[in-house]
Parts: sequence; C-alpha cells; structure tokens
Amino acid sequence: MSKGWQLTLILCLLGLFALFYQGLWGDPRHIPTVLIETEAPNFEGPDVETGQTISLDQFKGKVVLLNFWASWCYECKVEHESILQLHQLFKDNPEFVMLGVNYQDELPDAQKYLKEYGSTFSHVRDLKGQLAIDYGVYGVPETFVIDQQGKIRHKWVGPITGEVYTNITQKVIAPLLKAQPTTTVTS
Amino acid sequence: MIIEIGHFSTIVALVLSVFGMASAALALKTRNPDWARSGRMAITLIFVLLGVGMLSLVYAFIIRDFSVLYVANNSNSKLPFFYTVAAVWGGHEGSLLLWVFILSVFSTLAVWLHWRTQPTIMPYLIAVESAIIFGFLCLIVFLSSPFERLLPVPLDGKDLNPLLQDPAMVLHPPMLYMGYVGFSIPFSFAMAALFSGRLGEEWIKVTQRWSMFAWMCLTTGILLGGYWAYYELGWGGYWGWDPVENASFMPWLVGTAYLHSVLVQEKRKMFKVWNLFLIIVTFSLSLIGTFLVRSGVLTSVHSFATDPERGLYILIFVGTVIGIAFGALILRSNKLKSQVEMDSLISRESIFLFNNLFFLVAAATVFLGTLYPLILETLQDAKVTVGPPYYNAVFMPIALGLLFLMGIGPYIPWRKASVASLKKSFSTPLLAGAVIVALLFVTGIHNLYALAGGYVVTFAGMAIVLDFGKISQLYAQRNGSNIFQGGLAAFTANQRRYASMITHIGVLVLVVGIIASTVYQTEKVVSMRVGDEFAIGDYRMKLTKIHEVAGGNWNAQEGVFQVFKGEDVITELRPQKRIYSATQTPTTESAIYATNMGHVFLTMPEVSEDGVAVARGVLNPLVLWVWGGGIIMSLGVILNILRPRKKEE
Repeated sequence: MSKGWQLTLILCLLGLFALFYQGLWGDPRHIPTVLIETEAPNFEGPDVETGQTISLDQFKGKVVLLNFWASWCYECKVEHESILQLHQLFKDNPEFVMLGVNYQDELPDAQKYLKEYGSTFSHVRDLKGQLAIDYGVYGVPETFVIDQQGKIRHKWVGPITGEVYTNITQKVIAPLLKAQPTTTVTS
Repeated sequence: MIIEIGHFSTIVALVLSVFGMASAALALKTRNPDWARSGRMAITLIFVLLGVGMLSLVYAFIIRDFSVLYVANNSNSKLPFFYTVAAVWGGHEGSLLLWVFILSVFSTLAVWLHWRTQPTIMPYLIAVESAIIFGFLCLIVFLSSPFERLLPVPLDGKDLNPLLQDPAMVLHPPMLYMGYVGFSIPFSFAMAALFSGRLGEEWIKVTQRWSMFAWMCLTTGILLGGYWAYYELGWGGYWGWDPVENASFMPWLVGTAYLHSVLVQEKRKMFKVWNLFLIIVTFSLSLIGTFLVRSGVLTSVHSFATDPERGLYILIFVGTVIGIAFGALILRSNKLKSQVEMDSLISRESIFLFNNLFFLVAAATVFLGTLYPLILETLQDAKVTVGPPYYNAVFMPIALGLLFLMGIGPYIPWRKASVASLKKSFSTPLLAGAVIVALLFVTGIHNLYALAGGYVVTFAGMAIVLDFGKISQLYAQRNGSNIFQGGLAAFTANQRRYASMITHIGVLVLVVGIIASTVYQTEKVVSMRVGDEFAIGDYRMKLTKIHEVAGGNWNAQEGVFQVFKGEDVITELRPQKRIYSATQTPTTESAIYATNMGHVFLTMPEVSEDGVAVARGVLNPLVLWVWGGGIIMSLGVILNILRPRKKEE
C-alpha cells in the first residue's frame, strides 16, 4: 500500500478543521451587505413559462419588485396568494414591474407550481444560482424592491404576508411610484 | 442547595476523569492490575456522580427553581410537568450534560461487562473513555455549566422553546445521544487495538452487539426527529436535509457501512485498516455532528447557541480526539496488511466492498452538501442554501444502488460465485421486479423513482422471501413439521442471519414509505374564509369556524375543518396557530387524520385580522410505513443482540 492515502487523509483533516475554525467567527444569521442603496446587479435569464430571455436592463426607469421563490419552498406557498394580490394592486401602473426569480429548482417543478398556484407576471430562471449569489439571497422567499434609478431600496427575507404586506405596499412601493426620483425611502 | 450538590458532583467527576486516565496509564506502565481496578472504580464513580448531577438538575426543574439560570431560561411556571423533565435537555448546557452522562453509563457497563474476558484491553478502554469524558466535562464545568445561579431571582422563567414542547422531543435527544455515544465503545476498543497492537478480529467480535445497539438507537433517534419535524414544524415532511438532520445522518451512513464490513473481517480476515478507518470516521462524525449543532457554525432550523468561544473549545477537543485516532491508524497501517486477497469480483466480499463504497459516497455527498454553504462563505462571503434538489439528484441513485446490493449480498457465496449459482438464486427476484414494474406502469405509475424503487424493493424482498422459504422447507422436512415450525426452527438456528434479514425487511418497508409519501404527496395551499371549502385528492375540507382556544401556557386560533369523502363527513380536523405566552413565539400545530397507512395532514399557518385563513392540506400516502419500517428495523436488531451466544463468541 502506498503512502498516498495517509497524506490525503491528513490534508483533508487539516482542511476540514481550518474550515471549521474559520466558520466559528461567522454569524450564521448575519446576511452580507444587504446592498441597500446600491446598484441592483443586472441579470439575464430565460422565462420559466415561455423560455424568452428576460433581463433587468429592459425595465430601467421602472420600479421593479423581485421575488425569489422555489417550488420546494413551503413559505413561498404561504405568501403566494398575497404576492398575486400585490401584483393585482399595482399592475395597472405603467411604472411598476414584478418579476419572480425561480431559485434552485427543476424547470418542470417550477412550471407545475405556477400552473397550480397561478401566475400573473413573468418569472426568470436563475440557471446557475449566480443571480441569487449576486443578490445575497440565502434562502427563499426573499423579496427586493428596485427603484427607477436601478437602486435596491428594500429587502425582505421571508413571506410577504400580513403586516409585511401592508408595509411593503404602502410604505415602500406606493411612495416610490408617487415620489420624485430624489426622495429616499427608509427600509 | 441541591443544585450545588449536583455542581460539586460534576466537578468531582471531572477530577476523577483525570484520575481515570492516570490510573489507566499506570496500569499499562506497571502492569499492576490494581491500577486498572482503580480506573474501573473511577469510571463507576463518574457514572454515579454524573447521575447525581442529572438528578439535581431534574429536581431543580421539577420544583421550578428559577434561581438556577438554566432552569430560568428553559422552563416556566406554566410549563406542563411532563415537559419540565424533558426541558433538562432542552438547552445547550443540559444536553451536553446528558451526552456525558450517557457516555458514563455506557463506559461503566462496558468496563464491568468485559472485565473478565478482556483484561488486557481494559486499561486502554478506561483511558479512552476517561479522556472523552474529561473533554466534555471541561466544557460543562468551565464554559457551559447548567448549575449557574441567577441573581436576582426572576419571578418566572423564559419557558422552554415551544417547538420542543412535544412528546417526541422527550425521547429524541436521549435516543440520538445513545446512538452517538454508543459508537464510542467500539471506537475505544478500536483505539485499544491500535495502541496495544492486538490488531486481530477480537475487538470486532467483542463490540459487535455494542455497535448494533448504537446503530439501533441512532436509527430510532433520527426517525423520532423526523416524526417531530413532521407534525411540529408543519411543513408536512419528515426530512428536509437540514444541516442538523444531516449531522445525525452522516454517522448513521458510515456506521451502517461499518456494521457490514466487519462481517468481512470476521469471516475472511480482510478489510482490517478499512474497519478501523470506518469506526473512527463514524465516531468522529458523531463528534463533528455535536460540534456543528453546538457551535452554530451552520444555519439551520435548529439554530442553537452561537458562541465562538465554546465552539472553539469543542473544535479543539474534537480535533484532538480525531487527530490522535487517525494518527494512530496511520502509524499502525503498515502492520495491518490483509493476509488474504480477494478471490473474485463475483463474491460476497466484493458485494460488501461495493456496499461500503456506496455508503461512503452517500456520506460524502451529504457531507459536501452540508458544508458547501460554509465553504462558499469562507471563500466568497456569499450565502447559499443547498436545497433538496441537490440531495435528491445525487443521493437517490446511490440509495437505489444500495438497495439492489442488499438483495444480492446475503445470497451470494463468499470467495467466488459461479454464474450458474447466480442465475439460480437471482433469476426469480429479477423477474419478479420486472413484473412489479410492469404492473405499476399499467396502473398509471410512471415516475422514474417510483418504478426504480418498486423494482429494487421487489428484487431485494423476493430474494429474502425465497431464501427463507427454502430454508424453512428444509428444516420442516428434516423435522417432519409444517413450514411455519420449520421457519421458526430455521430462524432460531440462524438467528444472527435472519434477524438481520428482518432489519433488511424494515429497510424495504421504510423505502416504500419514503417513495410513496414523497413522489405521490399531494399538497394544496389555499386562502379561505369560514364556509369555504377546498378539495384535495378524494377529500374535501370545509372550514366551519375559527375560534380561540387556550392551553396551559399558550393561546391559539383553531380552525375547525370538516373532512368529507364523497358526501360523508369522515372526520373533523382542528389545526391551530398557537402563540406561547411566555415567549410570544408562534407555532403551527398540525391536525392529522390517518387512513390506509397514510395521512391527511392539515395546517393553518396564517389567519389574518379580517378572517382570511391560509390552510395547507397535504396527502401523504403510506407515510406510516416510514416509521413502521423503523420499528421493524429495530426489532431485527434487538433479536440480533439477544441471540444466544455461540461457543466461538
């Protein structure tokens, strides 16, 4: 037997413990810079239902709501009704766009999900998970509001229901749609 | 006062663990058996003292002594009595104490049980067990003591985490810990073999029952945890590939590989380094699991304490144990060449080899998925969640492969099998599998996993039935009895083999449950008002009212749903959205109707102020097979452990 496996074993163990050591100093509940007030990373990807390419750039100058979801995510189903309701509320405003981002999912599952629960707006597929990393998404559902200048104004982790719904519609989206471009909105 | 006695006992136990290590070292050095006897006494006293420690804590919980910080943090004047005892292991400090207490129980049992037959091994066993006890007691005494007082004394406690106020939680942690800790006994014997250079098959034979017992506890612990998640977390699933679930699953996978590969060393004297490697990995994963859960390195529904200082201590301790164990293995590895080479690729030993590879690859898959978020965070400062799609894609094929091997392994001869004998043994099971797949397909089941699962389960099940049928017939003929008596005679004559087959049958039942309840799960989430109804599968759920109900330490909104099948009301389900008073924590209490070994599962996760409820119905066909399979698996192990000892053992 060669010495190879012994060396490999030692290196693996050292690597593992270095990783654990590093991990100790991070707070698992800390979310990296929420990107509030920064430029929303652009993205491009296929539409879940039609396959056509959607990119964020094409909505420049509008208020965009990005909602990350997955068909295996239970909380997403809980918020689904109110997400649809939210779209209903603002869809007649030409300055408002809503986009779903399908996260870590199988295409057929995602399509089935939309068919079953209903969909009134477009959903883009996050093919390589890069989009989720760009936005610092660590779980679904997660929702971002981007203003007319392409800056992220609001982020919410967890379902948009109840009070959260009221807050995001009345205190975030409505003022943005009404506001002059310079007004800031606290999140 | 009582709590101080417990505190003091624990400190004395810590001192005694040092004494245990020292006396074991002296016993080895001087060859004087008196030192070993002192070591045995030390281990025994540690058990007694930690027992006192546990009891004092239980007592503090029972009298609701909120002057004890740990009690104040994990109990409340309104907490039901039943849970006040389970609250002892409801938090970080208490669960560590439980861990080390169970370790002391097992160490004491092992020392007394094997004292006469394994005199040379005893000092090593005492040394290793004392060292592990020492490591955990240092953590408890210096960094996470459950015996701290709190001044001024609060009027009431903060209450036990509501999610843990559940019957399954009373049993789940002790069971899981018995599994983790149980593997410390074969681990200690393996260490003894490495240090003493007695590298034969003896340590394996001695620890066989211990390993099976630990495995059974781990299996039961995991399944209980799944059951708890199933109805308490309210998402209707029993397994979510959560990091903490994975932490218990990894030692299970490697431990299962170990249970199989020791058979090869026993029969054919092969796989010597491999078996030592496997038991070290199994116990290391138990320790790493404890580290992952207790340090808060990973995000999880279990997110316990985040405390880098404690985490660092556990890491250093776990690293030392694992480092010494692997170091010893590496140093001894040149002495451990197998004397026997494999004769043929078509033989039982080669099937066992594949079994082991599959189990290890499965464990590596889970390991990678669990740690990937941590790796990525370290390298890129990005957060990711590895979701079920990864595990389903990578883990499922491996699991199916393992099930297939399970159908072959027990029925293929050692050394070398002829093609003719293979044909004879396996043509019927192979054919039966094909017939079942065809039948499933015709009845409208087209899912690939369901068909593949149906095939391997039928194949493996048929192999077991055919073999046992043949043997039973043989015994019946010989004894002139009927086939059932023949079966019983065959079972008692080969209890080890057939008890294992019962465990295998349990696995098959479990797998059927998993496949049916995953692939054919139907789910519906709807918003509804009183008077509305929704249909799911053959059932209709009608929300008849929403009202307030109150328990001892919680208030809830309860939805009353009538469940219809056709036009008949078959039952009423009452899911709740509870708010626990002390912590103001909401929980979702599910309501379940069991039918045909499956469940109609209902939760009501949201009720808005204007009376709109979000209801979630799930149909989980055959889900009870999951736990039924677990019970059969455990039964097999118990029969295996209780088998009469044969002379060579």
